[in-house]
Amino acid sequence: MALLAFFQITGVLAQQTEVTGTVTVASDGMPLPGVNVLVKGTNDGTVTDMDGNYAIEVAADAVLVFSSLGFENQEQAIEGRSVINVAMIEDMEGLDEVVVTSLGIEREKKALGYAVQEIQGEDITKTNQPNIVSALQGQTAGVQITNSGGAPGQSARIIIRGVNSLDPNADNQPLFVIDGVPVDNSTTESGSTPRGLSNRAADINPNDIESMNVLKGAAATALYGVRAANGAVIITTKKGKAGDVRINVNSSIGFEEVNQYPEIQDVYGQGFGGVYDPNSFWPNWGPSIDEIREIDPDAQINDIWRDAMRTGIQIDNSFNISGGNEKANFYASLNNLDQEGIIPFSDWGRTSARLNGELKFSDQFKVAGNMSYTISGGNRVPHDRFMERMVYNTPMQDINDYINEDGTMKSIGTNTNPIYDARFSTFEDEVNRIIGNLNFTYSPFEWMDVNYLIGTDFYTDSRTEITPGPLGIEGEVPLSSQGFITETRIDSRDINSNLFITLKKQWDDKWNTTLRVGNDVFERDYERVDATGENFVIPQFYDLSYASQISNSQDKRKKRLVGLYGDLMVDYDDMLFLNITARNDWTSTLPQGNNSFFYPSVNLGFAFTEAFEMPEVLSYGKLRASYAEVGKDTDPYRIGQTYTSPGIFPLGGEVGFTRFSQFGDLGLKPERTTSIELGTDLRFFGNRLGIDFTWYKSNSKDQIIPVPVSESSGFSTFITNAGEIENQGVEFIITGNPIRTEDFTWNVTLNAAYNQNEVVSIREGIEQIQVGSQYGYAGSTVTMQLIEGEAYGNIFGSSYERYGADANNLFLNEDLPKVIGENGFPVRNGNQLILGNTTPKWIGGLKNDFTYKNFDLSFLIDFRTGLEQYSQYDNFFSAFGIAEYTLDRNETRVFEGVLADGTPNTQEVWLGQGEGPDGRDYGAGYYRNNYRTVSENFVHDASFIKLRNISLGYNFGDNVLDAISFLETARVSVAANNIILYTPWDGFDPESFSAGAGGNATGFTGLGYPGVQSLFFTLNLGL
Amino acid sequence: MKILRKTYSFIAIAGLFLTFTACEDYLDINENPNNPTTAPLSGLMVNSTFETAQNTFRIGNTTSNYVQYLASPNQGSASDVMDELSFNTTWSSLYNVMTDLNDMILEANETGASHYEGAGQILMALNLAMTVDAFGDAPFSESFNFETITPAYDDDAALYNRVFELLENGIANLSQETDLPIGSDDYIYNGDADQWIKFGNMLKARYANHLSKTDQYNPTEILAAIDAGFESNEDNAEVEYFEEEFNPWANVAINNENLILGGWISEQFVEATDGTTFGVEDPRLPYMIGTTDDGEYIGVPNGEGRGSAAESGERSTLVPGDFYTSEQSPVLIATYAEQKFIEAEAAFEIDKTRSYNAYLEGIRAHMRMLGVEQSEIDAYVNSSAVSVGEDNFTIDHIFKEKWVAMFLHPEAWVDARRHDYDYENFDLPANLNPDLNGQFIRRLRYPDSEIGRNGSNVPDVTLLDRIFWDE
Repeated sequence: MALLAFFQITGVLAQQTEVTGTVTVASDGMPLPGVNVLVKGTNDGTVTDMDGNYAIEVAADAVLVFSSLGFENQEQAIEGRSVINVAMIEDMEGLDEVVVTSLGIEREKKALGYAVQEIQGEDITKTNQPNIVSALQGQTAGVQITNSGGAPGQSARIIIRGVNSLDPNADNQPLFVIDGVPVDNSTTESGSTPRGLSNRAADINPNDIESMNVLKGAAATALYGVRAANGAVIITTKKGKAGDVRINVNSSIGFEEVNQYPEIQDVYGQGFGGVYDPNSFWPNWGPSIDEIREIDPDAQINDIWRDAMRTGIQIDNSFNISGGNEKANFYASLNNLDQEGIIPFSDWGRTSARLNGELKFSDQFKVAGNMSYTISGGNRVPHDRFMERMVYNTPMQDINDYINEDGTMKSIGTNTNPIYDARFSTFEDEVNRIIGNLNFTYSPFEWMDVNYLIGTDFYTDSRTEITPGPLGIEGEVPLSSQGFITETRIDSRDINSNLFITLKKQWDDKWNTTLRVGNDVFERDYERVDATGENFVIPQFYDLSYASQISNSQDKRKKRLVGLYGDLMVDYDDMLFLNITARNDWTSTLPQGNNSFFYPSVNLGFAFTEAFEMPEVLSYGKLRASYAEVGKDTDPYRIGQTYTSPGIFPLGGEVGFTRFSQFGDLGLKPERTTSIELGTDLRFFGNRLGIDFTWYKSNSKDQIIPVPVSESSGFSTFITNAGEIENQGVEFIITGNPIRTEDFTWNVTLNAAYNQNEVVSIREGIEQIQVGSQYGYAGSTVTMQLIEGEAYGNIFGSSYERYGADANNLFLNEDLPKVIGENGFPVRNGNQLILGNTTPKWIGGLKNDFTYKNFDLSFLIDFRTGLEQYSQYDNFFSAFGIAEYTLDRNETRVFEGVLADGTPNTQEVWLGQGEGPDGRDYGAGYYRNNYRTVSENFVHDASFIKLRNISLGYNFGDNVLDAISFLETARVSVAANNIILYTPWDGFDPESFSAGAGGNATGFTGLGYPGVQSLFFTLNLGL
Repeated sequence: MKILRKTYSFIAIAGLFLTFTACEDYLDINENPNNPTTAPLSGLMVNSTFETAQNTFRIGNTTSNYVQYLASPNQGSASDVMDELSFNTTWSSLYNVMTDLNDMILEANETGASHYEGAGQILMALNLAMTVDAFGDAPFSESFNFETITPAYDDDAALYNRVFELLENGIANLSQETDLPIGSDDYIYNGDADQWIKFGNMLKARYANHLSKTDQYNPTEILAAIDAGFESNEDNAEVEYFEEEFNPWANVAINNENLILGGWISEQFVEATDGTTFGVEDPRLPYMIGTTDDGEYIGVPNGEGRGSAAESGERSTLVPGDFYTSEQSPVLIATYAEQKFIEAEAAFEIDKTRSYNAYLEGIRAHMRMLGVEQSEIDAYVNSSAVSVGEDNFTIDHIFKEKWVAMFLHPEAWVDARRHDYDYENFDLPANLNPDLNGQFIRRLRYPDSEIGRNGSNVPDVTLLDRIFWDE
């Protein structure tokens, strides 16, 4: 808007007169600061102060235009008045709402032919989520956000309108753009056991955000090119406003607890086959605690799962100062966040500073610059290993009693104590990151702007992983027989250069056109070096120089992209809006000859209420339609065959070579996604009820897939163009403003989205693509496979044999009776059948905001439904007799089902271990011999309804503020997060997956970091 | 105004044009700086000899529980009780090294490096035979050169013909003169072509001897190959490990010492060697396995776990520093002792005296390799349990002594299957996988990776289906 104002023709000064006044909010009469007051047709103007007052010198015949974001514009002719008070009318879901689209360009929402949904900074910070991705949860239709777990700083994954790639390793997440410059949001998990690392967007301080806008379809992102093929999240940071210097201080403290525990048994103790053994490896296959007490009267069973967890704490302090005048403005901020997780010794923190500024040299020339510096990182506990060791450790111990006085570990049954491991097997990362940009705007004529935007995202990620070897103390149980240290250094530098020219023309009072052409260059330079030293020469002295076995590896990557684009917008009478874009990209990653690709888009908006007479209840109605294509390239160095030297060399002075397991198609060409979107935006009852509906369909063809191929072919991966994937779905947004009185307001927003996905084709000769797999005991390992004609995310695994099952049906039919074997137990079917799907069918959120006098209350409920996940916890819990349902281990039962001949089973069997009451030897028992071997038992409905956030705030009134002279605003609030309202899932929070946000195998919980619920207290002061 | 607009348009277009022309060079940066596109023959040799030793360990590590050298300290452990397991890593390691050997053979053939070609063929034969012996039918004729992404499975018997062909060709190539001799890039023989030829012949004997149950069995051919094979322990095919990379069995022992349990000795092995089963104490035990804190040899029954025993000091395990388990110990790929037992078996029906002498020499060769004192060697070999006399000498004696001499080696499982696990007092493990119906395992299951990626070609087999030479 500032831009638009800037291009107004400078008027000729006429007779001057001073006008003053106060601007208030029409609904409550409160003064409104920061309102732009401009002389119509000129660039002259001012801004209202904190009390809504303004004063301006104008010509007597001038017209003043009052504008402020979220309010309808008002024009007032001077007509001889010297005092003009204005009551601004709130713009409910603002029809004239301005949203930031591609390239930081602000556009009126009504002019768009595609769906956008903007989230205000306040709605981000209100969630108390340190990670801006998590903060979007439930707030935008069709945007699926999943926390990979509850660790401090742990990554969250964002997927817009379904997965668009058959490549198991593809990043299906949208492009993140800050102030017009794309930034990195990758997640680099630890190479060995999962440790819950961060997605790089977590480096962004949420308090700096003015607004976030999610661009969903290809239409919305055609101008960002290949990198935005999965959509884009456009972040605009705060700017200083003309007027007094303003200072804002925000402090919050939060406490975290595990939000849901699995049901576990507390009856059976250590041993195997019902025989007590205090040194046994087996934690729970012994006799009952009552029987154990006859041997060892002091024995008891503890709830080690709760004992091992602590209360997490999060402390967040931020400060910002901003101000400016008509020529220049600035915004500066500092933020510090420290978080300690529920698993002992896990922590993460972020310290960031930002300076945003803008300077108008003249009416023709303006420079804006933004820069942020962030240090983030922490100690990442190996949560998967932690939890696995929790499984092995007997509950008949004090799990927190883990260390001897000499520093060695206390261990029972040779098991590693998880807390000892978490404390000493450290993995610390520190990211130092600078994101900055400069934006030059030159406007030689009213109808022309030349913009040059250059930005960089530079970070180093230093990681140090240490696992101690033996401490050299007699009789110790060390964490590792040799110990090791791995130093990892990642340097990543992105540079974006974008030059574009905008030509505007208002042909008459109805026709308006804007044409933009531009050139865009992107370069990423990435290098990673890993050095590992094993076998420490001096115990507890952890340094590469003092390790006797050293190995190194190095990975260098460079990628460049050049784009040319054009964008034509035509408006007719605020009623019809047409937008045509075209872009050509050249990439360094595809073979020359195939590396240039062109793609167009067109979208149309029609405000039919402007054209036709409509019933009065319908205050506004618009239809939208768009068609877009977007190309997609690949990663560097994927073409052809290469050799590599395995990390183990050099050995004995020799370097070995092996053929690299990946082969890239020499004729690789770009992928292409085509999408169609239709939608409507309807407002009723004076905009108090809004309904927004969107239907979309997108097809991605010629997918570049690393096809896992039989290792006997000479490679394990073949990268080629193959296959097509389709997503179609609907999105609803219903907004309402049921109550709007002076004291009480209530706003409600409901969003819901349904997505249907189909792998349309793969490639001849490839029947399936494995996206991921997760271990399960004794043949219960599950895989996520893509199969032609089926949806993304199907989980395959072993099941129980069903009587009368169609041998050609890939899906398990649970309605058929189980086949019971001659041994009286259900028969396992090792053929891999589809046991569920990990992609939710419906996702959505319900947001309510209430204000009553000085109080405000808001809550956000989000849900997902129609998905299944594999619970590795459950698999381990059954194998080790931890699950509550294993309490029936000493019972005799007749399994329901039929024998091979179809007659009902009547055979009684015992579920326990060893010799049963019937004299038969049952070996390791039902749970180990049978139950744990069948994947079907561990694939469960992972739907949930969560109270994602509820917060209650109080804004101090004038009586307090007046008493403390320097205080402008003051607010206290209390909030709670991530409370599970309903889930059929037994176990830790189903919102958890071990792959981290960088992975696509979301249906496997692994032994993930448990989800947490939290309680926050926040104080916010404006000075 | 119009002129100005034109000027600007022109500048814009000119700018774009410049971008176009500069583009091609600017974007030509996709050559991989991390991986070269060719590999030197010596680099392939280094990796192939090393990985062949590793594969010998990998398979031995799996099968040592099946032949009851080792037993898990945990009850009902999957490897002890012969559960269906997925050997993805073993499979991919075998095919990775065969792929590299394929490239080495082709490149050597093109450059006339006949010794590289010959050594490559011998190693190819060895890795292929290890694959067949463990899995049966396997991809080969459509493999390695990316003819198809779903290579067909060749019949296991046909693959054995390939093994013999590769060995013949390998020996022939190594017998040629070459300007490009192998050198220190060869971890097995340091480039000694004569030893490679002996090795080729030894393997011919080994794989021909695998056919003992079939009608193709030809003892005369085996004996002929043996005559051209190893002449002493000096010829053993082995890879000595490195300061930077310890022997994998040493790692097992070191880990176990640090209570990351593994390498526990089976009760079967202890009783067969400590005098319980055969009445004579084998002097090799101290060189092979550790004792309890009380200096005794006590094993763990397979499948039963260690029971009430503590994690250390109460059972025999592999211990660091022994012959098989020192940090730089060699991994043995083929030994003179093994060849002697093959000779004993092949000669048994046609020349029993040669057979008996080869049997005794096999024991002595193994003992000399371990470093057993000559007096102890003589005492053991001359004991009545060993020197049974030519008349009382049976094939069982050969299998029993070969089993001891092949400690931790994958060949032991081939022998066990050829011998139908018919060793003295050899029992099924406790908690045996119920699918085996009370029988010993006969093959490995095809790995999940192969079932997932090449499913339509993977044969449908159970753990009881036998390799062709076992039928």
